Amino acid sequence: MNQEPGTRINENAVKAWTVNACLYGLLWFIPPALYVAIAVGETIDSSAAWYSQISWLLMGSLTVVALTLYVLTALVFPKLRWKRWKYDVSEKEVDMLRGIIIKKRTLVPINRVQHVDTRQGPVYRKFGLSSVTISTAATTHEIPALDDQTADDLRDKISTLVRKVKEDV
Amino acid sequence: MSEFKRQHPIAAVSRVLSLIRENLITIIILLFIGTSRTQGYFIYFLLGGLAIALIGGVFGWWVFKYRVYEEELQIKKGIFVKNQLYLSKDRIQVIDITEGILQRMFGLVKVEVKTAGGGTETATISAITREEAEALRTELRKRKNGKEQELQEESEAVAQNQEEEVEVLDSWKLSTRDLVFAAFTSSNFGVIASILGAVSGQLDEFINEETVRYVYDMAPGYSNVTVIVGLVVAIIVISWLLSFLGVIFKYSDFRLQKTKKELIITSGLLERKHITVPFNRIQAVRYVEGVIRQPLGYGMLYVESAGFNQSDKGRSIVLVPYLAASRITEFLGDFLDDYSMPELNVTPPKRAKWRYIRRINYAMLVIVPLLWWLLDYGWLSILAVPILSWLGWLRYRDAAYGVSEELIHLRYRTISRTTAVVKRRRVQNVELSENPFQKNKQLNTLKVTVASGAGGMGFEIEDLDSGQAHQVLQWLMEGKATLTSADTEIEEGVPQQD
Repeated sequence: MNQEPGTRINENAVKAWTVNACLYGLLWFIPPALYVAIAVGETIDSSAAWYSQISWLLMGSLTVVALTLYVLTALVFPKLRWKRWKYDVSEKEVDMLRGIIIKKRTLVPINRVQHVDTRQGPVYRKFGLSSVTISTAATTHEIPALDDQTADDLRDKISTLVRKVKEDV
Repeated sequence: MSEFKRQHPIAAVSRVLSLIRENLITIIILLFIGTSRTQGYFIYFLLGGLAIALIGGVFGWWVFKYRVYEEELQIKKGIFVKNQLYLSKDRIQVIDITEGILQRMFGLVKVEVKTAGGGTETATISAITREEAEALRTELRKRKNGKEQELQEESEAVAQNQEEEVEVLDSWKLSTRDLVFAAFTSSNFGVIASILGAVSGQLDEFINEETVRYVYDMAPGYSNVTVIVGLVVAIIVISWLLSFLGVIFKYSDFRLQKTKKELIITSGLLERKHITVPFNRIQAVRYVEGVIRQPLGYGMLYVESAGFNQSDKGRSIVLVPYLAASRITEFLGDFLDDYSMPELNVTPPKRAKWRYIRRINYAMLVIVPLLWWLLDYGWLSILAVPILSWLGWLRYRDAAYGVSEELIHLRYRTISRTTAVVKRRRVQNVELSENPFQKNKQLNTLKVTVASGAGGMGFEIEDLDSGQAHQVLQWLMEGKATLTSADTEIEEGVPQQD
């Protein structure tokens, strides 16, 4: 029982998450952009130079923060996240190990599972990946980025196991 | 009961009242703005609105019809948009009968029928006579035995069975003394005080030169400081009084009854609530000792119940408002005999002690400098550090868990101390987490999640020894845990590698 789970998720996960983070990460740049827009807006009616209202220190720090977050989420985190992610599905339980800085291990007994489904966003589709979502009466757990075939098999396997256990009881 | 029926006409009034209650804040805001700007015309708007609501209420009553037909509760309603609600009998989970103030005046009750699962609908019949309500309930509950009743030889047994089901096996009442103590020690007043404080902060308009001078005239010789202190004391007294009355109203004449299949709770002074909790929906038992109640040896007992009302996030039901800690075991034996309290034999190791004391103070690293900078005597906030450290130490002392084959007993403290007992087959998942600092010390945080209402509720114990935390995983799957000793070699000061 103290043995950690061993199955890794698909390696393409790193690429898919990177692409995802590159797209969504652009949101980090909204605060500095907004700040510049407001500062420039203030100079419109005056004869001052368009950049005169920009505090370079503030804009600089906002940009540095945005850039750091962008690099972290897009380049560093996907790799770390993939390295940590492991799972196992046995007849009795679903065992998941995940987390980037904080390591989390979750154990869900099979007979508490209410339904399982697979999901695929546009980026995942590009890389042929799907995630499996496992719902209980209290919580929802996701095993991300499995290749389509594995995900479908896993979903069918879990739902078969659940049916078997429920019939037993 | 196959003809469509209307409710009692009082339903029209109750609908208008609930409409007013739902929009109370809007109405009050409009009243404030309206009276100052429109010089009296506003009152006509208000009366107009009320008239429309009344007419709507009457029409709403007229078109609302219900019946039990075949295996369904059928409700027709809606003035402009016709709405037909069909609830199949075997989807119905809970039938709550409540008596509001208005209903009580006319000897009526409100019936709420709740179903389980996604897309939950609650059918509310807001005013019918008690006899009708009881008849409706038996009608809706009959389903399981309906088919069997067709068989002659079984019908008697079934009738007997039904009787057995409603027979009260055990009952419990909250004594007046306990009610008063519960009201005295209710910690709601902290919440109410902060609300009052926030409101009084908004009274700037009201507190102007005139009122200040008036106060000085009334109470000569008092300085600003005494006025402020007086105000604070007044806020505390008023909020404590409100919370006192709140508890009295809510838990007056509190009764708990046990039948074969469910627990029935009835309570309330003006509005009597009637809650039914089937045993097979109980997910966990929780005992909460508030800061004032714990020294007296008392606390509040809750049950977590799963699955019926989507709008209620958590469904925690108060089982006993005021129960002595020393009597829990006896009480559980009487009312929830499949719950007991396994011995709490696992506690966080000594190496976690300073983490508990430190962690609670981390927020102070930001708060103290900020207050120092913002307020004149802001540095005084540093005095909170020893108090928080003490709380941290209490958290360390109180954290514990213990298991038996079918039960887990968890105890932890945030401010109040919570003790939870969960059946193994009711645990939805167990999660262990470990941050880099915990990893260094081989500690894990344990979280046990159960279903509650439409969501979940987690019981969390920080900084347990990794090995012992992992035992819970084994217990969850196998029903037993081989307990290892709490303080491993790290405790002896042997340097360990990362």
